[in-house]
Amino acid sequence: MKNGMLVGIMIVMVLLVGGFVYSNLNEITPENITGNTVATNNGANSNTPSGNVQKIVLSMKNGNYYPNTVKVKVGQPVSISLDSSIRGCYRSFTIRQLGLAKRLTTPSDTLDFTPTQKGTFRFACSMGMGTGTLIVE
Amino acid sequence: MTFKHFITELNGNRVEGELIKSIFYSLLVSFLFLGILYFFKFRYIPGFIDKYGFYLFFASLSYAVLLPTVRQVRAYNQFSCMSGMMIGMTIGMIAGFVAGFYIGATNGMLMGSIFGSIIGILLGIWLGSKCGIMGFMEGIMAGFMGGLMGAMTSVMMLNDNLRLATIFIFVISSIIMIGLNYMIYAETKESNREKSEDYLNIIMISFALIALTTWIMLFGYRSLIFA
Repeated sequence: MKNGMLVGIMIVMVLLVGGFVYSNLNEITPENITGNTVATNNGANSNTPSGNVQKIVLSMKNGNYYPNTVKVKVGQPVSISLDSSIRGCYRSFTIRQLGLAKRLTTPSDTLDFTPTQKGTFRFACSMGMGTGTLIVE
Repeated sequence: MTFKHFITELNGNRVEGELIKSIFYSLLVSFLFLGILYFFKFRYIPGFIDKYGFYLFFASLSYAVLLPTVRQVRAYNQFSCMSGMMIGMTIGMIAGFVAGFYIGATNGMLMGSIFGSIIGILLGIWLGSKCGIMGFMEGIMAGFMGGLMGAMTSVMMLNDNLRLATIFIFVISSIIMIGLNYMIYAETKESNREKSEDYLNIIMISFALIALTTWIMLFGYRSLIFA
């Protein structure tokens, strides 16, 4: 088989497979992963269900976030902040499965969202060095 | 001797005329492997394309771009120290980087670093050693560095646009590998081919690389399935 024909077949193959992958890709947003809504810092988001805000303050212990496992209630707004013991890249806080990521520069900065589905989610710093578990029940 | 001559040789009788076939066989093996597994198993995993399919697709493309160099280097077999070091460094670095990048994107820094480093070091040593101990050492160092850097890059991009970064890294890696193929052509223009072989090597290596990548990506201890 001539190389020109092989190149043609390869292009078709890559376009077909790539097109299939591309057509099945979803934009990663909090909504299409879990149906969660992300509120602004003061919780003034029209999608946010009413209810008491569940405030969580994480600190640093043994080189990791503490508490390491956090339980919250479904449907109630959650506000996560990091105290002053947490430094460096650990302040770049993410819950990847919920599509949440925010750099909490100071202890007064918060990551606010409302979990709308039960489940267990992993939270971590942006490089995945510090990790923990968020249980929505 | 220009790049135009190299392009002409891609259809010629030298080993350069077999590079496109190597890419073709590698792509075919990877796509068949992934297609069969997708049809029987992977399509039942929720969000498979989002979580793994995209990276497996680019891993297949990246391995297909890497492997023609294996054929080209094995065909000439003997290189000067300068060329051998460049070959060991480039193949070690790029192989380590892309392998580490795709595993890092789905399994975190540790798995990505280890897998990327192992792939980079093995390929770097194998091809770099065609010039002796200097290429051998260059292959080890570049493979190790590439593996760590690939995993680190993907993990750091997780909260940015990792998909766009994947495309960018694939394009740059491909340009570098084509540059390496051209360099080998330019350095061996006056040399005769020492080894002639069929495409079984390319098929086996492609299969091993994509199978290992898929296995670690899906069943590694920090894969999203187990997260």
